[in-house]
Amino acid sequence: MQREAAIREPLILGNKSYKDITDDVVGPIQGPAPIGWKIMITISAIIAVYGVGSILYLLGTGIGVWGLNKTVGWSWDITNFVWWVGIGHAGTLISAVLLLFRQKWRMAINRSAEAMTIFAVIMAATFPGIHMGRIWVSYWVLPLPNQFGSLWVNFNSPLLWDVFAISTYFSVSLVFWYIGLIPDFATIRDRMVKPLPKKIYGILAFGWSGRAKHWTRFEEVSLVLAGIATPLVFSVHSIVSMDFATSVIPGWHTTIFPPYFVSGAVFSGFAMVQTLLLIMRKGMKLENYIHVKHVEYMNIVIIVTGSIVGVAYLTELFISWYSGVEYESYAFINRFSGPYSWSYWIMMTCNVISPQLFWFKKIRRSLIATFILSIVVNIGMWFERYVIIVTSIHRDYNPSSWGEFHPSSMDVGIFIGTLGIFFTLFLGFARFFPVLALNELKTILKSSGEAYKKQHDNH
Amino acid sequence: MSQNKRYWSGLDELHGTEEFKAIQGQEFPGVQSVDEFLSDDRLESTHTGRRDFLKFMGFSLTAATLAACETPVIKSIPYTNKPEEVTPGVANYYASTFYNGQDYGQVLVKTREGRPIFIKSNALTGEGKVGVRVNASVMGLYDSARLNGPRKGGQPTDWATIDADVQAALAAGGRKVVLTHSVASPSLNRAISLFCAATGAEHVQYDAISYSGMRKANVADYGRDMVPTFALDRAEAIVTIGADFLGTWGDVAVQTTAWSKGRQPENGKMSSLHAFESVMTLTGSNADRRNMIKPSEAGRVALALLNGLTGGGNNGDLSESAAAGIAPAVAALKAAGSKGLVVAGSNDPNVQLIVNACNRALGAYGTTVDLENAWVLGRGNDEAFAALVADMAAGKVGTLLIHGVNPAYTSTAFATALGKVKASISTSLFADETASRCTHIAPDHHWLESWGDAQRTTKRVDWVQPTISPLFDSRAAGSSFLTWANNPETDWYTFLRQTWNPNYTADQLYTDAAWNSSLHDGFMALESEGLPVSFEGAGSGLAAAKQAVMATKGGAFELAFYQKNTIGQGDQTANPMLQETPDPLTKITWDNYVTMAKSDMDAMGLNTYIGQEKPASVVRVTVGGQSVEMPAMLLPGQKPGTIGIALGYGRGANGEEVGKAAFQMAENGDFLRDANSALVPVGTNAFPLLGSASGLPQYEQLNVAVEATGATYALASTQIHSTDMGRDSIVKETTFGAYFAERKAAKGSASWNKLIRIGVHEDVNGDGVINAQDSKPTAAFDLWHEHPVEEVGHRWGMTIDLTTCTGCSACVTACHIENNVPVVGKDEVRRHRDMHWMRIDRFFASDYSLERGEEEGVGAIGSYRRMEDPAENPQTVHMPMMCQHCNHAPCETVCPVAATTHSNEGLNQMTYNRCIGTRYCANNCPYKVRRFNWFNYPGYKKFMNFNPSQDNLTRMVLNPDVTVRSRGVMEKCSMCVQRIQEGKLNAKKAGTKVPDGAVVTACAEACPTNAIQFGDLNDKQSHVAAVSENNRAYHALEEIGVQPNIFYMTKVRNTESTEA
Repeated sequence: MQREAAIREPLILGNKSYKDITDDVVGPIQGPAPIGWKIMITISAIIAVYGVGSILYLLGTGIGVWGLNKTVGWSWDITNFVWWVGIGHAGTLISAVLLLFRQKWRMAINRSAEAMTIFAVIMAATFPGIHMGRIWVSYWVLPLPNQFGSLWVNFNSPLLWDVFAISTYFSVSLVFWYIGLIPDFATIRDRMVKPLPKKIYGILAFGWSGRAKHWTRFEEVSLVLAGIATPLVFSVHSIVSMDFATSVIPGWHTTIFPPYFVSGAVFSGFAMVQTLLLIMRKGMKLENYIHVKHVEYMNIVIIVTGSIVGVAYLTELFISWYSGVEYESYAFINRFSGPYSWSYWIMMTCNVISPQLFWFKKIRRSLIATFILSIVVNIGMWFERYVIIVTSIHRDYNPSSWGEFHPSSMDVGIFIGTLGIFFTLFLGFARFFPVLALNELKTILKSSGEAYKKQHDNH
Repeated sequence: MSQNKRYWSGLDELHGTEEFKAIQGQEFPGVQSVDEFLSDDRLESTHTGRRDFLKFMGFSLTAATLAACETPVIKSIPYTNKPEEVTPGVANYYASTFYNGQDYGQVLVKTREGRPIFIKSNALTGEGKVGVRVNASVMGLYDSARLNGPRKGGQPTDWATIDADVQAALAAGGRKVVLTHSVASPSLNRAISLFCAATGAEHVQYDAISYSGMRKANVADYGRDMVPTFALDRAEAIVTIGADFLGTWGDVAVQTTAWSKGRQPENGKMSSLHAFESVMTLTGSNADRRNMIKPSEAGRVALALLNGLTGGGNNGDLSESAAAGIAPAVAALKAAGSKGLVVAGSNDPNVQLIVNACNRALGAYGTTVDLENAWVLGRGNDEAFAALVADMAAGKVGTLLIHGVNPAYTSTAFATALGKVKASISTSLFADETASRCTHIAPDHHWLESWGDAQRTTKRVDWVQPTISPLFDSRAAGSSFLTWANNPETDWYTFLRQTWNPNYTADQLYTDAAWNSSLHDGFMALESEGLPVSFEGAGSGLAAAKQAVMATKGGAFELAFYQKNTIGQGDQTANPMLQETPDPLTKITWDNYVTMAKSDMDAMGLNTYIGQEKPASVVRVTVGGQSVEMPAMLLPGQKPGTIGIALGYGRGANGEEVGKAAFQMAENGDFLRDANSALVPVGTNAFPLLGSASGLPQYEQLNVAVEATGATYALASTQIHSTDMGRDSIVKETTFGAYFAERKAAKGSASWNKLIRIGVHEDVNGDGVINAQDSKPTAAFDLWHEHPVEEVGHRWGMTIDLTTCTGCSACVTACHIENNVPVVGKDEVRRHRDMHWMRIDRFFASDYSLERGEEEGVGAIGSYRRMEDPAENPQTVHMPMMCQHCNHAPCETVCPVAATTHSNEGLNQMTYNRCIGTRYCANNCPYKVRRFNWFNYPGYKKFMNFNPSQDNLTRMVLNPDVTVRSRGVMEKCSMCVQRIQEGKLNAKKAGTKVPDGAVVTACAEACPTNAIQFGDLNDKQSHVAAVSENNRAYHALEEIGVQPNIFYMTKVRNTESTEA
């Protein structure tokens, strides 16, 4: 059996048995809904309904209900899209990349991180849909054989690449997540007493029996999917960044965008995982499984990706000056000194300065500080996209068309609404799904469980 | 022989079976009649099976559902007999003449299926092209606020009642007066004379904008009560003192075109234009040197010019900015000699006397000033009008007939006195300020519905011909006058023909070839010798005039009234197309405001930047006892210590039905209402504030008070940024001296128009090293396979000369009417959502630059901040901007569904049907010319009161060749692809190549100075191909490498420098 160095911090605290793990994860699904959950889902659902109402009003009236104009054709819509896609990246990174690198600590967080990915991608996909002037013909972006003549999509357009990138990403993530859920659904099925839930979880478990053959296939499929998902971590946000990088607009037309966007995505994704898990571990009493060590690991990822993002910001500034291009240099001067400089400085503070605080071990291991900073980082990352989109196009080449952007109540309402939908989905997940990959966790119990580690030491 | 053949219908009949016999007599065998069925006793015991029940249910449900789906009923009535001249889908053009008391233009009216939809200049006249106000006037025909018949006391009535009442009123006592604008029509003048002769009435002419000052000066100097015409094409130096001759002053259409003829640098000489004015006007913005003066200085500026020309004298007090301009202006005038010209907009005879003296000193009479071929308009008699108002107030006027003029709007005294007139009859088309106060309204035809004649000068008569049957129960005003005069001939057409041919009878209706051909041309030349002019008395009043202008003094603030190029004197205030066309200088739509200098605004703490959420500060302007509260707007070039207010706004202040678009709308599309739930007009009427001197209205007030109120008011601007930020690849400009020195330079090599080259990492020049000298022009770079546009088929392109573009905006309205561009209203314009396909970018020069910033050590950030502010009295550039039809278009590559593509004729084409509305193309457009349909403009409530598509009548003006775009699609300039198609089809039918000039876009067609040229760049014989090879031609933003099909021509100023 695998032995782990004693000096490593245990990943599962307390004196847990296999049964304890099952009880801790499945127990909340079997028991009645706690009052806290009911309150939270009510609030989320109300916000979600408001968001859906706002979306319906938008679809019924026209894009004009947003604050967009002839100069600024994208703003909150695409900001939200990129933000949500970015958030999704953490889940895939945790479950795929960390799997390939055999990082055992991912096991406590990968399930909920993947769920977050799925829900975030759903939210992200909403925006390119509703931002279209004519959503009812949105299927034209698919290269479907048709009878409109010889009409075909334009493979030169980054928006089309987006369609492929996002849809691939969503389907792979969904399959990956679901495959991982199968053994855990089977465990729940086996523990369920009431016939209807038992039936439902039985269907969801796809007839899992726990035979060695199943486990072998499970491991193989996970590895294959991890292999497929890993390039997606890098490709999806690279392609999203090309929406901007392939344009001619100063501030968008930047070759640094793909790596910069990917690290930004991982950065914001991990921050969102922190935000969610710190609440969840408290609410669902999972402190023994998701503890300071996990948080610290994730904070280290945040320092690394945050620093990459910071370097990217400074590189952009340098290149804009070094290029000697009038428009390029003005675009960046305008970013930090123009009418929207406030958003630039929010971005710089939240994304460049705040993650550097994690160099301090005290802060890195403080749950409160982590929670606050995780929210700060996500605010910063939202503003990063806002800065890139709005400050670049509000003053581009022709000063006669320089404009302003002022968000309308619908811009705000739909963004808040997607947060509501997201949290509603996530709370549903937390209530009815195994929030930890319990069967995977069991594989590390004896090597990384606190009690077992102590036993090993005593030997 | 008897027939023994038998035919049978079937074997049953042949064999005579039982079954056959049973059904033989029945028409519908096997079918039970309803009566039989119902009378069947066994009916009670029958039952319907489940399957049958379901079948019936299914059928009923489907039938009911289908019945509920209402098929839209389209009421279209086909021609029973096709009129000879109307072919569906083919436009007809009719020559006609526009005159509304201010603008005069000879036009061609385009009709489609009997509907006039477009107005353009009549090129046959060879004299000027009509401007923005004339070509937009077609909207007025379809204004749903037009009266649908005669009115008596505000109630509908019939013509017989009107005629009887007028006859009764004429029979009663009191003064009888016919009040009209300056009548341009000789026939109407004849009719009015007959009327006056028959009834003892007097004819008083009154114009909203008075030229009396000039006429009085000409009476004093030359004994003739007239306004001369000006040969601006012959002038070499023009000095204007507040006369906006390119925008609103005088005969604008003719003057603009004539002026541009002297402004062609290729001719090796250019006229120079010096302007002295308070508010920056279109003319001032096109001046080579513009000097800021106070309105009170106008006379002293003229005097200083005169002294300069005649060698000394006392100039009196002149402010620094005015005095500085005198010497250069005098030098230019002296150099031009008899080809110099001085004009002044002032209505003060003293100023005009001095101006006359200047022109005499120059010897301009006979060369640039034409007294013999006088302008026959602008004849309003202000003294007679004042006397009339006094008589009206005293109750002495019994009958007042009003035609073509709206004095209740321009004169408060008239509006009050009108109530004391026993019978007042207006021929207005609308129940406007005057007509609604009249006892009767006898609506005239719209000019597009009527016959008529008109004269601008004595040398020619122009015809007005109807292009559509009268839409409403209206009657030609001339016919009304004839009826009321009890003239034997009351038919207006016959009367008109008889004016020009006394022997005309109805049998010559179609047979008079001379008439037919002159009607086709739109005009007839007249044998007319100019009236002799005597210079004997000239200059007699000069000494007194000098003394008077020396004594003119102003207060702390002086107010100059001006007219906007779009709205003019205000009779088209309800024209949504004009309201949404931005003012060429402030770029504000749908409002008038107080123009102010930045220093004054800063001193009062007023907002100088109008943004979406940055409303203007409201100021209170007090003139005498009257005060108005209006938003203040920064206008660079405004003389500090002066303010300006545009006339022509605030129509329908008492809710008169002057047209829906004359009123402000709330954000939800309803009419805005004030505290008393009254309609709120667009803008404020400034006519009541006009000054007055010796009985003449004065377009200035020399002592006004301006104070901040603390209130704010939203203004809607289409361009919120004023300067070009030193980006000289957008606007290229040079001085005439620099141009002349390098006029023979090859294209791309002159210092003022260098081809932009981009450095590459290869040894281009073959000197063995790769260094900064190795570069290629942008055309050498290509990411994609080359579009095969050069030398293949057509390649449509355009050239735009920034030197002759005056910014008049005629192209803007022409484009928008041609292409059904939606009107979106003030609130949407404020949100930067105007839909303009064609816009005129106006750049004010800043006196700051990065170089200056470096010298002064303020750094790039500080320099850019300062470069955002225009100079105090900036040079101005008007740059028409529309889709550049890039051959390497950034918009085309980014559309996911290929809705915008490149045609093999060089057009960047937009396929509305395919567009899904991602707006990526608009974001990626460096010129920002793409416009998105944010709402369903033809249907959404917000636009119901001004969008032409939403009015059942106004909708008639839409061009049937151009689709009305739906919500959620992108649109932009198509280079009038419908016209290109028409031109190609015509050429194909004729079996020829498309001849140069056969296809012309709406903007190029409308341009009064021919600054915009359109044609086939691949046709090397075409004009546009030649111009595009000119060394002034360049591509805007050439360094991006998008390779547009639109060429701009470097702006040449006839000045020493192009600094602000």
